[in-house]
Amino acid sequence: MTTQQAATPTAPPARHVPGQPDMWFFVLFESLIFTAYLGVYLYYRAQHQQAFLQAQSHLTLWLGVVDTIVLLTSSWSIARCVEQARAGRYDVARRDAYITAAFGVIFLVLKVVEWTRQIHLGNTFSSSDFFQYFFFLTAIHFVHLLIGFVALGILVRQLSDVKLRSQELVETCATYWHTVDFLWVLIFAVLYVAR
Amino acid sequence: MSPVALRDNPKRELWLAWGATVFFYNLYAVVFFVFTHIQPPGQPWYSPDQARTWFSHHHDGLLIGLALIFVFGGLSATSIALITYSIRRMSVSRAFSYSYLIIYSVSAVPGFLFICVALTAGAMRPDRSPQLQHWLYQLGFLSFSGTMGVFLIGSLVWMTAILLDRNGVFPKWFGYLNLCNALTEVVVSPSWIFKTGVFPWNGLIAWWIDVFVFGIYTGVFITLLRGFIIREDFGTGPLPPAPHWRFWATEPAEAGS
Repeated sequence: MTTQQAATPTAPPARHVPGQPDMWFFVLFESLIFTAYLGVYLYYRAQHQQAFLQAQSHLTLWLGVVDTIVLLTSSWSIARCVEQARAGRYDVARRDAYITAAFGVIFLVLKVVEWTRQIHLGNTFSSSDFFQYFFFLTAIHFVHLLIGFVALGILVRQLSDVKLRSQELVETCATYWHTVDFLWVLIFAVLYVAR
Repeated sequence: MSPVALRDNPKRELWLAWGATVFFYNLYAVVFFVFTHIQPPGQPWYSPDQARTWFSHHHDGLLIGLALIFVFGGLSATSIALITYSIRRMSVSRAFSYSYLIIYSVSAVPGFLFICVALTAGAMRPDRSPQLQHWLYQLGFLSFSGTMGVFLIGSLVWMTAILLDRNGVFPKWFGYLNLCNALTEVVVSPSWIFKTGVFPWNGLIAWWIDVFVFGIYTGVFITLLRGFIIREDFGTGPLPPAPHWRFWATEPAEAGS
C-alpha cells in the first residue's frame, strides 16, 4: 500500500471534459440538428442562388459582425468566470457571469432591432425563401439564448451559495453558453457571410 | 422465470406497462406509416378536389388502420403512466409527475386523437362535398403537426425532474435530450403558415428532421424505461446501478433463489 501511495503522486491527473460529460452529449446532438438545418438551407440556396443572393443583400452585414463580436466577448467573459471559480475567487467569477449576461442582453436587443428593421423593409417570415430561413434560424437561436439565461441563473446561484457550490455545474452552464455562441458563429457564417 | 416467480414478481405491472408501451409505438408506426399513409403527411397545398381524391385513394387503409388506433390507442396511456411513475421514483417533488401526467394526457387530444377522428370522418363519407373533405383533411394534419408545441412543456418538466433528481433514475444526458426534443417541437409551429417549402406540415425541417429526432428520443426513452424497471428496488433512495448496461440485460437473480 505504501509503495503504491509513493508511486501515485507522479501519475498525471485524470483528464476529463469540463462540466458534466452529459452536457457534451447535448452539444453534439444540438450541433447535428443545426448542421441539418444549415444543410437544408445550403441545398435550397444552391437551387435558387440568384433569389437568395438578392434577398441576402438586404441584411446588414456589420450588424451581424457586431452580433458575433458581442457573443464572442460573452464567451470570453464566461471562460474567465470558470477560471476565477476554479481559483476560488467566487466574487470575481460572479461579476464575470453578470458581464456575460449583459452581453447576452445586448445581443438580444440587437436581434430584435434587426428583425424590426427587416419587417419594416417588407422582409417577413413569409415574404421570401431566404427570409424564411433567416427568421427561423435566428429565432431558434434566440430561444437557445433565452435558455442560456436560465443556465447563467443556475451558475450565479452556484457561485453565491457556499453549500450548493459545484465547479462541475459552473462548467456545465458555461459549456451551454459556449454552445449558443458556437451555433451563432455557424449561423453568421452561413446566413450573412457565405455568398 | 417460472410462472410462480412471475406471479410473485412485484415488477409484473411495470413490465406489463412497458410491454404495452412497446406494442403501442410499434402499432402507431405500422398504422401511421404503412396502413393509412398519414405519415409522411399528404401535401398541404392540395385543392378540395385533390383532398377528396386523397381520401378515396386511402379509404381502406384509413378505415382499417384508424379502427386499430381507436381500439388500441388507449395504450398510449401506459407510456405516460410509466414515465409518471419514473418521475415519482425520483428525489423531486410530486408536482413534476402530476404536471407531466396532466400535460401529456391533455395534449394527446389535439396532438393524436384529432387527426384520427377527422380522417376517419373523411374516409367514412367519401361522397361529401370536396370543400368539407378539404376542411377535414386540413383539420387532421394541422391539428396533428401544428400542435406539437403542446408537448413542449411536458418534455421540459421531464428534463427538469431528471436534472434535479439525486436518485439516478435516468442519466443526465437524457435530460438534455429532452431539451433537444422540446426545441424541435417548437419548429413544427410554422406549419400553420406555410403550404410549400421546408416548413409546412410535411416539410424537410418541420417534419422530416423532427420525426428523425423524435424517433431517436422515443427509442431512447423506451430503452431507458426498461433499464429503470430492471433497477427498480421499490425504495425511496438512489437506485442501484444497472447489473449490465445492455439492452438484453436480464434482471438480477433474487438473493437466495
